Amino acid sequence: MTAVEDVHADPRVDEVEHVPGEGDMWFFVLFESLVFTSYFCVYLYYRAQHEQAFLKAQAALTLPLGIAETILLLTSSWAIARCVQQTRAGRYLSAQRFAMVTAGLGIAFLGCKLAEWVRLIGDGHTFTSSEFMQHFFFLTGMHAIHLLIGFVVLGVIVYQLADPQRRSRQTIETCSTYWHTVDLFWVLIFALLYIVR
Amino acid sequence: MSLVASLRTDAKRELWFVWYSTVAFYSLYTVVFFVLTRTQPPGHPWLTPEQAVGWFADRHSGLLVGFALIFVLGGFSATSIALITYSIRRMSVSRAYAYSYLILYAIAAIPGFVFICVAMTVGAMRPDRDPVLMHWLYDFGFLSFSGTMGVFLVGSLIWMAAILLDKNGVFPRWFGYLNLCNALTEVVIAPSWIFQRGVLAWNGVIAWWIDVAVFGMYTVVFIYLLRNLIQRDDLGTGPVPALPPGAARRAHPLAKVIAG
Repeated sequence: MTAVEDVHADPRVDEVEHVPGEGDMWFFVLFESLVFTSYFCVYLYYRAQHEQAFLKAQAALTLPLGIAETILLLTSSWAIARCVQQTRAGRYLSAQRFAMVTAGLGIAFLGCKLAEWVRLIGDGHTFTSSEFMQHFFFLTGMHAIHLLIGFVVLGVIVYQLADPQRRSRQTIETCSTYWHTVDLFWVLIFALLYIVR
Repeated sequence: MSLVASLRTDAKRELWFVWYSTVAFYSLYTVVFFVLTRTQPPGHPWLTPEQAVGWFADRHSGLLVGFALIFVLGGFSATSIALITYSIRRMSVSRAYAYSYLILYAIAAIPGFVFICVAMTVGAMRPDRDPVLMHWLYDFGFLSFSGTMGVFLVGSLIWMAAILLDKNGVFPRWFGYLNLCNALTEVVIAPSWIFQRGVLAWNGVIAWWIDVAVFGMYTVVFIYLLRNLIQRDDLGTGPVPALPPGAARRAHPLAKVIAG
């Protein structure tokens, strides 16, 4: 099926339950989830071994900033979901706007994250200052790399939506699946690093 | 059918030769690094010069014999790079992807594979050398092996981009995404230049154990998919046909010989 045929498919198709996007992207989601789960297990193991040291270093984090970052990313997830909805409804201009909003919220998150890193480093909490900070910078850094790839993915959405010949609902769903996955990883990272005491 | 007759008539004999060489190379690599020289899993980054001397003494014969094998047969590493380059050439994408991959991996093999063999052999050759120099060789060997994954990372990204853009169906798209997973774990090794202890040191749980688990799965998968490609390949330039059911077992020369 071509991209154009895909977009103009029978609207009743939407009523049928289906896994959004390419099945291949779900392979990525599962595999990358396994990798992150292994990172989380390592973090929890070392945290259990050195609980007091981790708690002491964890006190340097600003919980309200972590909450604000989480709200930004959850809102971006809502925006990308709206983008998919608008694409399914054939409202491509609106879908493009929601993709831009998603990118804007992602940039705002990254800005907050950079500000947090700069503040922590300024206060003497660096990659090498403690075991907790080693995990903190590693996990948030890995997430930031995933987010940067997410901007490329959002670029694919905007590029596809810009031209009727390129529009593929499946590709847009695939890209949004990636973005949701990155958001899910953040929620878990936030819970582990900021909330668990 | 004899093996010779099978090889004479099989138009894909060069591809099969390269594929079997790839399997042989990775098997040799595993035996040499994990069993003979015991350089994997890597030694501790926090060893003192005296402990580094002891590390070399402990593995003296294994290092000399194991890496001698690599110096004789290590050139077969080129076969896997060649086969992957061929797979990218078989795709509908620009040849620039194949050439970039070829050049990147050829360059990466020097610091990421050859340097550790040379450094460890030099250390094992004269065990009575100054401990400070032995310590330097120890660090140089492991850091060059673990700390230079960035070049491999870009190679994985090139392969990923080629697979996702390809219209000839050379590889399934999920393998393109697996390349991304592999590339992302190679990022993790970069901090091994900074840490001498902990999960991100060159022998750490995250930087080594998890990465090796991912890389091991990735290697098994790509060797299997390269075999699958050779079986399906019509040696043309368009989409690679699917293999008819049951044909997979009969497609390579050794299977033909076994089947008579």
